Amino acid sequence: MTGHPPSRLAMLLLAALVLALFLLPWVAGRYPIYLAIQVLILAVFSVGFNLLFGYSGLLSFGQAGFFAIGAYGCAKILLAVPNLLLGLAGGVAAAGIAAVVLGILSVRHTRIYFSMLTLAFGMMIFSIAWKWRDFTGGDDGLVGIPRAPLEIPGLLSIDVSAMGHYYYVVLVLSLLAIAAMYRLVHSPLGLTLQAIRDSETRAEFAGVPVRKYRLIAFIIAGLYAGLAGALLTPLENTVTPPVAHWSTSAEPVMATLLGGVHSFAGPIVGAFFFFMIKDVIVRYTEYWLIWFGVIVVALVIGFPGGIMSIFAKRRLPWRPARPSSTQPDKPAASQRHDRISED
Amino acid sequence: MDNFAFQGLIGLSMAMYLWLISAGLTIIFGVLRIVNFAHGSLFMVGAYLAYAFYGQMGLPFWLAIILSLLGTGLLGLVMERVFLRRIYGIDEAYQLLLTFGFILILDDAVKIIWGGVFKIPPIPAFLDGSWPVFGRSFPIYNAFVIAVGLAVAVGLWALFEKTWWGRTVRATASDREMANAIGINVPWVFSGVFAFGAMLAALGGAIGIPVRVVAPGIGAAMIIQAFIITVIGGLGNLKGAFVSSLIVGVLSAYGTLFFPVFELFFIFVIMAVVLLIRPQGLFAR
Amino acid sequence: MKKHFAALSVVFFLSVVSLPASPAQAQCQLGVPAIKVGVQGAASGPHSDYGRQIEMGATMAIEEINAAGGIAGCKLEIKFMDDENKAATGVKNARYLVTDWGAHFMVGTDSSGVAMALGPVLAELKRIHFFTHAATHRLTEDLVAGKGIKEIVRVSVPVYQDAIIAALIFKDRMDIKRWANIGADYEYGYTSWNLFKETLKKYRPDVEFVASAWAPFLTLDFSPHISAVMAQKPDAIFATPWAGEAVMLLRQALIQGVFNDTKAWWQAMGGSVDVLEGISAEVQKDRFKGNLWATARYIHNWPDTPENKAFNERFKKRWVRLPNYSAETTYSAFFIMKAAVEKARSLETAKVIDAMKGMQIRNPGGVRTFRAEDQQFIYNVPAGRPVIDAKYPIPILGDLKVFAAKDYYRHPPFTPVAVTK
Repeated sequence: MTGHPPSRLAMLLLAALVLALFLLPWVAGRYPIYLAIQVLILAVFSVGFNLLFGYSGLLSFGQAGFFAIGAYGCAKILLAVPNLLLGLAGGVAAAGIAAVVLGILSVRHTRIYFSMLTLAFGMMIFSIAWKWRDFTGGDDGLVGIPRAPLEIPGLLSIDVSAMGHYYYVVLVLSLLAIAAMYRLVHSPLGLTLQAIRDSETRAEFAGVPVRKYRLIAFIIAGLYAGLAGALLTPLENTVTPPVAHWSTSAEPVMATLLGGVHSFAGPIVGAFFFFMIKDVIVRYTEYWLIWFGVIVVALVIGFPGGIMSIFAKRRLPWRPARPSSTQPDKPAASQRHDRISED
Repeated sequence: MDNFAFQGLIGLSMAMYLWLISAGLTIIFGVLRIVNFAHGSLFMVGAYLAYAFYGQMGLPFWLAIILSLLGTGLLGLVMERVFLRRIYGIDEAYQLLLTFGFILILDDAVKIIWGGVFKIPPIPAFLDGSWPVFGRSFPIYNAFVIAVGLAVAVGLWALFEKTWWGRTVRATASDREMANAIGINVPWVFSGVFAFGAMLAALGGAIGIPVRVVAPGIGAAMIIQAFIITVIGGLGNLKGAFVSSLIVGVLSAYGTLFFPVFELFFIFVIMAVVLLIRPQGLFAR
Repeated sequence: MKKHFAALSVVFFLSVVSLPASPAQAQCQLGVPAIKVGVQGAASGPHSDYGRQIEMGATMAIEEINAAGGIAGCKLEIKFMDDENKAATGVKNARYLVTDWGAHFMVGTDSSGVAMALGPVLAELKRIHFFTHAATHRLTEDLVAGKGIKEIVRVSVPVYQDAIIAALIFKDRMDIKRWANIGADYEYGYTSWNLFKETLKKYRPDVEFVASAWAPFLTLDFSPHISAVMAQKPDAIFATPWAGEAVMLLRQALIQGVFNDTKAWWQAMGGSVDVLEGISAEVQKDRFKGNLWATARYIHNWPDTPENKAFNERFKKRWVRLPNYSAETTYSAFFIMKAAVEKARSLETAKVIDAMKGMQIRNPGGVRTFRAEDQQFIYNVPAGRPVIDAKYPIPILGDLKVFAAKDYYRHPPFTPVAVTK
C-alpha cells in the first residue's frame, strides 16, 4: 500500500482486463452481463468502504445507509424526470449530504464505538425507508423505475434500456470511480489517512487534523456507496428497504475481507469472488448462509489478508512481500477501556 | 389507571427478556473486549436445544433448560478456544467479522438439523394460566420470566461482588496484564466468561420456547435489541444493562399502548445519541 | 464391399427405426428439449416453510405430469430458488432463470413485495409468472387491470379472502360490536384491516373499531400488543400476523385470558397447515372455546371430493406432511399451465394467455375459473373453526361457512384501498 508504481506487466494485464470488460456484451449473454454489472456496483461500493477500513482503520457497519440513499434518491428522480445522469447525480449528491451530516457525528469516535454508531445510523435509515410509506413506498418500496435514457438536453440522447447498453454506462462510471480512488489513495491524502490509521497519536503530534481527515474519508466512502446504490436502481427497476439493512452493509465488508483489506485491488477482486461464489452456491443449494459463514471464518483465521495476500506471498513484481497477519501496531485492548475520550 | 399499571407489568416481563440477552453480551465485552455479533445466534441455539430436550425428547422443562445451558456453554467454549483465541493478536475488527461468520453458520446449521419450519412445544402445566392483577389477567408465564430475570440479576450481582471467581473476572476485566502478573490464568478466564455469556443467552432463548416460536432467524431479531440495550447501558456495564433493559422494555410496552407511532427508529436514535454524547453509557460511574 | 456396406446400413437403419420408443422419449411437440419452469419462494427466514411447500407442490406436480407423458409430449423441468422474501433477490433470480437457465414459465413467490417488483420485469422478460401465494390486491388490480401486464396470472386467492370473508361472516353476529386489531405492521396488515372495516361498515354501521396495535415483522413477543388492545375491552379481535407469528400470538393471547374475555378471534391464514399443527394441542383441549375463526387459500379438508382426498394422500405419502395452501396452489398452477399450453399448442405468452380465456379447470382445491379482466383464476375457500377430526392428524377447519367467490372477490372497476394505518 505504499507508493510502489505498478510494473509494466501489471499495466499490461490491467489493460487487457479493461479491454475484455468492454468487449463482454459482444460475447456473453444477458445474464452474465447482468452479473458483471452487479459485480461492478459491488466493487465501487467496496472500494469506497475500504478507504474507510483498510486505509483509515474505521470499520463501518452502516455503509448500506448511504447505498440506500443513493438508490432511493436516484429512484425518486427517475420517477419524476426520466434522465439517467440526473438520477445518478442526484442519488450521489443525496448520499454525500447524508455522509457529511452523519460523518460529523460518527468520526468523533473510533473502533468499536464508531462501528456501533455506524450500525445505528444505517439501521435508522432502514427504519425510515420501511416506515415512511408516502415517500419511500414503505415495505413495498418503489417499483417500475425506468431505465431512463442517458440524456444531455440539446446534446445527446442514448437509449440504455437494453442490458448491454446500460452495462457500458456502469462500466465507464465504475472505471472512472476506481481510477479516481487509485489516485486518491496514492496522493498525500491517502498517505495521511494511513498514517492516522497506523498511529493516531503520532499523526496528531505531527500536526495532522485527524478528525477532519477521517471526515473526508467518511464522506468519500459515502459518495461511493451512493454511486453504487444509484447505479443499482435503473438495473433492478425497483428499490426496497433491505438495501439499507445491516446485512447489505456486510456485503462490502465480506467482499473486502475476501479480496484483501490491505491492497487496492482487494475490494475489487473480493467483489468479483463474493458475487460469483454466492451466485453459484445458490444455484445448487438453499443452504448458502452456512457456506458463506465457513468462508468468512476460514478467511479470518487463515487469510486475514484475503485473496490478494496469496499473491503477495508469491512476490509478484507489483506487490511487496507481506506476511498475511501483519497488522499495524494497536494499543493493547485493556488500555483502550477507560480512555474513550482519546478516540 | 389499572390498564396503565398492567401494561407496565407486561413491559417489565419484556424488559427481563432483553436483560437476559444483554447481560451475557455486556459481560463478554467487559472482559474480552469483543462485541459478540453471534450472541443472538447463541440465544437461538439455546432455544433449539431446549426444544430438542423438552419438546422432542420429553424431558421436564427445568431439566431441558439446564441441559440447553450446558450445551450452549460448550458451544461458546469451542467458539472461543478454537476460533476467537487465534485472532486476539490482530485487529479487533476481525473479531467482529469472525463472530459475524458464526451467525451465518449457526443460522443455517439449525435449519439443516431441525428443518426450516418453526417449532413450538406445549406450554408446561405449571406455567399455564393467569393471575388476576389490576383487574386483568396477568399470565403466570410472564411472572415466571420476571422472576428468572430478577434472579439472574441478583445472582450476577452476588457472583461478581462476593465470590472469588467474580473478583478474578473483574480483575481480568479491568487490567488483564496485571491480572496475568498476579497469577490469574487469563486465557481460562476468557474461555470461562465467554461460555458463561453464552449460557446467559441460552437461558433467554430456552425459557421462551413455550410461547415464542423456535425458528431460524430469531437470533437476528434479538441481537439488534441487545446491542441497543448494552450501548445505552454502557458496554461492559452490567448494572447499566439492567437499567436500560427496564427503560427500553417498559417504554416500548407503553409505546404500544399510547403511541403506536413509537418505532424502532426512535430506539436507534437513543442509541446513537448515547454513543455520541456518553459512549461509556448512561450509567457509567 | 459396397454391397455389404449397403446391406449393413439398411440393417442398421431398420433396427434403429424399429426400436420401441419408450414413453419417456415420446416426441415433444413444441420443439424444445424440455419445458423449463423457474420456481421461487421464501426458503430462508421465519416463513421458510411456505417456500418449501411451494417447492413440494411443484415437484409433485411435475412428477405426475411427466409420468403421464408431459405437456404436449414435452418433459417438465423445474428449478427452485430462494427469494429470501426480498424483492431484489426475487428479481435477480427471475433474470437468471429466464435469461440464463432458459425458463419458459415462472411459478410461485410468497411475498407481495417480491411480486410487485417482479411485475414490470416479467413484461421485460416476456414470461408468464403464475403467482401462487403473494396476496396483495395491487398485483392484479394495479398491474394487470391497471397497467395491462399480461404476464401476470394469479392462481391463489388474494387478500379478499383474509378480509372480506371475515366481514361477511361477522356481519350477522349482532352480539359483536367492538372490534380491535392486532396488525402486521406492513402492507398486508394495513390492507386487510382497511378492507375488513370498509366491508363491515357497509352492513353494520353500528360497529366500532376500538383499538389497533401494530407489530413489526419478526415480532417475537406480542404481549404488549395483546394487552394494549384488551385494555379497550373489545368484543372481537382481527389478527393479521401469520404463520409462526400467528401461533405465538395465539399462545400469548391464551395465557392472557383473551379467549375468556372476547367473543371471537379472526386469525389471518389460520387454516394454514403450519398454524394448525402449532395450535393442535390447544384445539384438542378446546382452549379457544369455539371462538377462533380462520380461513386459508386452500384448506386440506375442503372440498370434500375424492380428488382432493387423493391429492392429500399422495402428498402425505410423498412428503410426510399435509399440503399447505401454497403447495396446492403451486401444484394446480402446473396443471393450469398444462391445460393452457396444450390448448395453445405453443409456449408463446400471447397464445398461452389467449388459451386461458374462459378456462375452467378442476383442481384439488375446487374449480378455478379464469377472469380475463385481472387474470385471476377465481375459486372459493370457506372459513371455519379449527376442530379435531379423527380422520386427520392435525386439526381441520370445521363449521364451514362457504361463500361463492363472486360474493367476496372485488370486481372492476377497482377503487383504491387505503394502504395506511
